[in-house]
Amino acid sequence: MSVPRIALSIRAQLLLVLTVFLALPWLGYEYVRELERVLRDAQERTLAGTAQAAATALHDRPRLFAMPPDPIASFARERADERTDGGPSLPPSASPEIAQIIEGLSRTTARIWVVDRAGVVLARAGTLKPPPAQPPPESLWDRIVRATVGRLYALVLEQPPEDFSDDAATLGAPRGRDVEGALAGILTTDRRRTSDGKAVIVSAAHPVWVGDQVRGVVVAEETGNAVLAERNRAFERLFNIVLAVLLVGSLALTAYATWLSARIRRLRDDAERAIDDQGRVRGALASSDAGDEIGDLSRSFASVLARLAEHASYQEKMASRLSHELRTPIAVVRSSLDNLKASPLPDDARVYMTRAQDGLARLTRILTRMTEAARLEQSLSDTERVRFDVVPVVTGCVEGFRIVVPAARIALAAPADPVVVAGSPDLVAQMLDKLLANAVEFAAGGAIDVSLAAADGVARLCVANDGPPLPEAAAGRLFESMVSVRKGGGPTDRDEPHLGLGLYIVRAIAQFHGGDARADDKPGGTGVVVTVALPLA
Amino acid sequence: MRRIAIVEDEPAIRANYADALRRHGYEVASYANRADALAAFRTRLPDLALVDIGLSDDVDGGFALVRDLRALSAAVPIIFLSARDSDFDIVAGLRLGADDYLTKDVSLPHLAARIAALFRRSELSAAPPATEDIVERGPLALDVKRMTAHWQGGRVDLTLTEFWMVHALARHPGHVKDRDALMRDASIVVDDSTITSHVKRIRRKFQALDPAFDRIDTVYGMGYRWRE
Repeated sequence: MSVPRIALSIRAQLLLVLTVFLALPWLGYEYVRELERVLRDAQERTLAGTAQAAATALHDRPRLFAMPPDPIASFARERADERTDGGPSLPPSASPEIAQIIEGLSRTTARIWVVDRAGVVLARAGTLKPPPAQPPPESLWDRIVRATVGRLYALVLEQPPEDFSDDAATLGAPRGRDVEGALAGILTTDRRRTSDGKAVIVSAAHPVWVGDQVRGVVVAEETGNAVLAERNRAFERLFNIVLAVLLVGSLALTAYATWLSARIRRLRDDAERAIDDQGRVRGALASSDAGDEIGDLSRSFASVLARLAEHASYQEKMASRLSHELRTPIAVVRSSLDNLKASPLPDDARVYMTRAQDGLARLTRILTRMTEAARLEQSLSDTERVRFDVVPVVTGCVEGFRIVVPAARIALAAPADPVVVAGSPDLVAQMLDKLLANAVEFAAGGAIDVSLAAADGVARLCVANDGPPLPEAAAGRLFESMVSVRKGGGPTDRDEPHLGLGLYIVRAIAQFHGGDARADDKPGGTGVVVTVALPLA
Repeated sequence: MRRIAIVEDEPAIRANYADALRRHGYEVASYANRADALAAFRTRLPDLALVDIGLSDDVDGGFALVRDLRALSAAVPIIFLSARDSDFDIVAGLRLGADDYLTKDVSLPHLAARIAALFRRSELSAAPPATEDIVERGPLALDVKRMTAHWQGGRVDLTLTEFWMVHALARHPGHVKDRDALMRDASIVVDDSTITSHVKRIRRKFQALDPAFDRIDTVYGMGYRWRE
């Protein structure tokens, strides 16, 4: 199995997908900008309307624009203005009559000027700087929002300024593009920054007609603060919602992904646990009842494992069942031959009797070998592991083999110190027995070197012989069940059946001890080395 | 004349065994299934029973039959004779109270020898032991006639196979007995791994009496020996 180049968990992947929703704030920002434009237009139209209304009331009243200024009234108003505004002194309304007319039209946040052709202020009403309104009581939630995202908004958004330089008031009269336009006889709106750049002033100027002459101009002014505040409020509300949705969404997605990956992990762990280190199916997988795809996967896993287990147990049992089934007919033949032997037989019949019994003995040995592998697996699962020294086991086995096969030339190199592994000495002896039998057979009278060494936490047992090198065709399959590399013309022992189970048993025992076995050609192809590595205990 | 009951579902084997045992001078009654055998046992107990475990469709019929037979008589010698040779079956069979467990690989002369030995054991269990029949090795006492073993005065309940293996080992303490020799002495025809499990069972039986028991040494690659 190859390791993927980029390992992203499902959780990370889902969160990555979630970044798509980061486009939402941008969309919201665009929407709010559009809203701001609409509000500005509306504001300009309203101001134009106000200016027009005031101008309508003043049209064709030449008397109003002919009166000289009243110094006393203007002085009184000037004082009053000073008190309310506290700012730079404003020019007084020179015409109380006009002032009266426009007073009714002015609003709290708008200021209306009436100037004559020379730019002399005839009247004015309202102010651009309303007294600060009492802020509504803040709830805890508002405070939390203000303390967190509020700071961010304050950084990003332009705040409506409470203090700014009121240019028209400083100059004493409105001087804008709009006034020039109105003097030319056209209703003109203007939008400009104050000289200190803090605020935006929106103004609309409407000409006052007397006959076909422009005799004065009505200017309606307002700051952009209301629109700005409205825009900010809309923006904040939208952002709060988007942020909340993003937060809740990512939390929910993370939780969902966690749940999903936990289920998948559980399935993976179950599947891995169901098969042991030797690749055998250990137990059935508890299939999930969930109706979704993961439940489906778990169920198909469970059924695959069940079928695999069935097949494996069929394979494992086949050899032993076969030998069991064969044992009864063999017993029939054997007991018949035994009975026959007890009765008087002619001499020439005795020959056939002996041959039949020889054949029967070989048949029995084949059966025994066949069951050995299956029985080994059974005994592996029953064997309790103990810590033991391998050295005496190896020494004993080699010595025993020297006695049984005196012709074999076996050299042994074993360390003087104990080599302790965890497992079963009986099984290791059985493994050595197979290795030595193999080596003796392949060495064909040549030397056999047995060596045991412990290094790097591993006990390495090597059995080398001088026999022919390994055939390439069998490479990698030597340790499988029922694989034999012996050729028909090769060294064979008529009494010993070759089922290809010897090295299979060697590997099974090595793996039982947590190790493995391998077979290699000696350098130069002068023989074969079988190496068994067992982890030290 | 001694009467032997053979319970075996395979007619050819049944007939062959019956013939062989008749030749050895026994009276033989053979049964093909559990019901017939049990009915006959209720009427008259055999002197020895030879029982197969699988009785055609009755997979563990032999086990059930031996349980019933043991309930009828605690003394009658019973031998399991089965094609099954797994440790599980052997242990299960011996636990039910069988005196021995043989696989069908056994030859007829071996079988006859076993039967004769069992008869001798049951015959002599009542009579006082003659000293010459007793092998003593320290705390171990083996009565060869009765085929009983005692350890530190306590009786070790060995099967015939196990008794002969202990006997073979203890007769020459310190000598390594290889597996072939043990098989020959205990008259069993089984493969090496079965010897290992027999030895394991023997050790366990002694350890049940004496937890410190460690007289049977494994000499890897060679066999076993009795430690003095």
